[in-house]
Amino acid sequence: MSVQTVLAPQAEKPVRPSFVRRYLPYLLIAPSVIMLLSLIAYPLLFALRSSLYFWNLQIAPQPLTFVGLANYVQALNAFDFRDALVNTLVLSVTGTAIEFAFGLAIALLLLKALPGMNVVRALLILPTTIAPIVVGFLFRYLYDPGGGLITWLLRVFGAPVPPMGLLGSPTTALAAVLFADVWQWTPFFAIVLYASLLSVPDEIIEAARLDRASPLTMLIRIKLPLIRRTAVIIAMLRFMQLFNTFDTVLVLTRGGPGTSTRTLGYSLYEQGLINFNIGLVSAMTWITVLIVNIIVALYVSFAFRNEEW
Amino acid sequence: MLRQKAFFSALTYVGGLLVLAIFIGPIVWFIALAIRPAETAFAMPPQFTFQPGLDAFRHILVNPGTNAPQLVNSLIVAIGAVALNLPFSVPAAYALSRFKVRGKKNIMLWYLGLLMAPPIAFLIPYFILITRVGLQGTYFSMVLVLQTITIPFSVWLMKSFIDEVPSELEEAARVDGARWYTVMWRITLPIVRPGIIVTSMFAFVFAWNNAAFPLVLSSRSTATLPIGTLGYFATSGVTWNFIAAAAVLAMIPPMIIFLVFDRYVVRGLTFGSVKG
Repeated sequence: MSVQTVLAPQAEKPVRPSFVRRYLPYLLIAPSVIMLLSLIAYPLLFALRSSLYFWNLQIAPQPLTFVGLANYVQALNAFDFRDALVNTLVLSVTGTAIEFAFGLAIALLLLKALPGMNVVRALLILPTTIAPIVVGFLFRYLYDPGGGLITWLLRVFGAPVPPMGLLGSPTTALAAVLFADVWQWTPFFAIVLYASLLSVPDEIIEAARLDRASPLTMLIRIKLPLIRRTAVIIAMLRFMQLFNTFDTVLVLTRGGPGTSTRTLGYSLYEQGLINFNIGLVSAMTWITVLIVNIIVALYVSFAFRNEEW
Repeated sequence: MLRQKAFFSALTYVGGLLVLAIFIGPIVWFIALAIRPAETAFAMPPQFTFQPGLDAFRHILVNPGTNAPQLVNSLIVAIGAVALNLPFSVPAAYALSRFKVRGKKNIMLWYLGLLMAPPIAFLIPYFILITRVGLQGTYFSMVLVLQTITIPFSVWLMKSFIDEVPSELEEAARVDGARWYTVMWRITLPIVRPGIIVTSMFAFVFAWNNAAFPLVLSSRSTATLPIGTLGYFATSGVTWNFIAAAAVLAMIPPMIIFLVFDRYVVRGLTFGSVKG
C-alpha cells in the first residue's frame, strides 16, 4: 500500500498534430462536461430567477410578483435559517475534528499488527457503507427513550437521560445527531489514515527510533507531516459532506426540537418540499451555493496547491 | 520486557474488541431487531436472547411484500445510473490521464466541486423541471439526476487507475501505426478493466445509498428501498421490525461490495486521490 501524488504520464507530442489529435482530448471530455453543465445550469438559473419573485406553490402554480432581493433579506433575517447556518457550521467543524481524532487513534491501534487485527480492520469499514438515511433509522432505534440500547446503557452507567429522550431534548439533540455521524464516519478516517501511515517508509521510523524519539514525537513530528496531503484531503471531503447533512436529520429529528438540530440542508427541504415556498427556498439555495463555493474554493486551492496534474 | 510486551498486546486486543463493539455492535443490534419477536423490540432492560424468526422479512418481501418492488427499483436506478455514466466518464478520464489538456487542474477540481455540492440545493428545481417535462416518477429522472454524482466520481477514480498503466505500451502500439481509438479500445481499456469494475461498484454504492433524489423524484411505484423504509414512519412503533428488515436489505449490497473490494476501499472513498 502506498500513498502517492497522482501523476499523469503525458503522451508524447506527435510530430504533426492533425486536427483530430489536437482536439481529441477535448472531444473526449466534452460529453461529460456538457452533460453535467446541463444538469446543474438549469437548477441554478431557475433558482436565481425564482429567488427574485414571490412564489408559493400552495398559492399559485406560477411566480406572482417580482420582489427583488426581498427573499434574500427574509432568509437572512429568519431566525431558523440563521440557527440552521450556525448548527451546520458546528456540526461540520466538530464532526470533522472528532472523527479525525478518533480515526487517528484507531489507525494507530490497527498499526500494532497483531494477529487477528486484520479482521477488525476489514469489518471496521461497515458503518461507512450504510446509507445515511438508514443510519438515521438505526440511531432512532438506539436513542429511543423507552427501550433504546444507548438510552439503557447511559442509565446503567448513571448518566442522566432527558425524559423526552436524547433526540427530544434541545440540549442533547444536536450532540445525538453528531454522534450518529461520528459513528458512521470515524471508520472512514481510521481506514484511510491507517493505509497512509502504513506507507511511511520503515527507514524513517528506524532513524527516528535511533534518535530516541518518543512515540508521541514520532507521530507529531514525523508521521503526521508525511501524511499531511491525505489528511487534508479527507478532512475536506468530510467537512463538505457534513455541511450538506440532510437525510440523517430528516429521519432523526426533522430539525427539532425547535431549531436545535436544523441544518441548512433540512431548511431547504422544509421550505421547498413542505411549505412549497419556492421564492424563499431559491434565495436560500443561492446563499448556500455561495457559501459552499467559497469554502470549497478556499479548501481546494489549499489542499491541492502543490499538486501536479 | 517480555511481560511488558504481553501486557501491551493484551491492551491492543482489548482496544480492538472495544472498537468492534462500538462500530459493529449497533449493526448487529439492528439485524437482531429484524429477526426478533416484535414485542421484544423495546423491552427494558433490552433482551439479548430471543427466538429468532424471519416473519419481518416475510412481511416485507412476500406477504404483503411492500418492499420487494422497492428492492427491484433500487437495483434498476443504481444499475441504470452506473450504466449511463460509463460512456461519459471513461473517455473523459482517459483524456485527462493521457493527453495534455489545457486547464486540466481546473477541470478536475470542477468535477470535485460538483461532488461536494449540496444535493438538496438542486432538489426543488429538479422537482419542478421534471414535473414540467412529464418525467415525474420515472426511473429515468432519477438515473439522469444521479449523473451529477456518478460522472464526477467515476472520472476521478477511473483517472487514478488509467494513470497507473504505463504509457510505453500505448506508445509501442502507436509506433506500430495503430490509431488512437484502437489504442484506447484495444490496449488501455482492457488493461484497466479491473479499474472500471471497481469504479462501477463504488459508483453503484453511491447511487444505491442516495436518498435525496428519489425522495422527490420517485413515485409510489418507483420508490427505492430507503424511501420505502421512510414510509413506515407514517404508522406507529409496531412496525420497527419491518423498518429494520427493509433497512438490513438496503445495507447488504454496499457491505458485500466493500468487503469484496476491500483492497480498493481507501481509493474508492477518496475518489482515487489517496491510493490505499
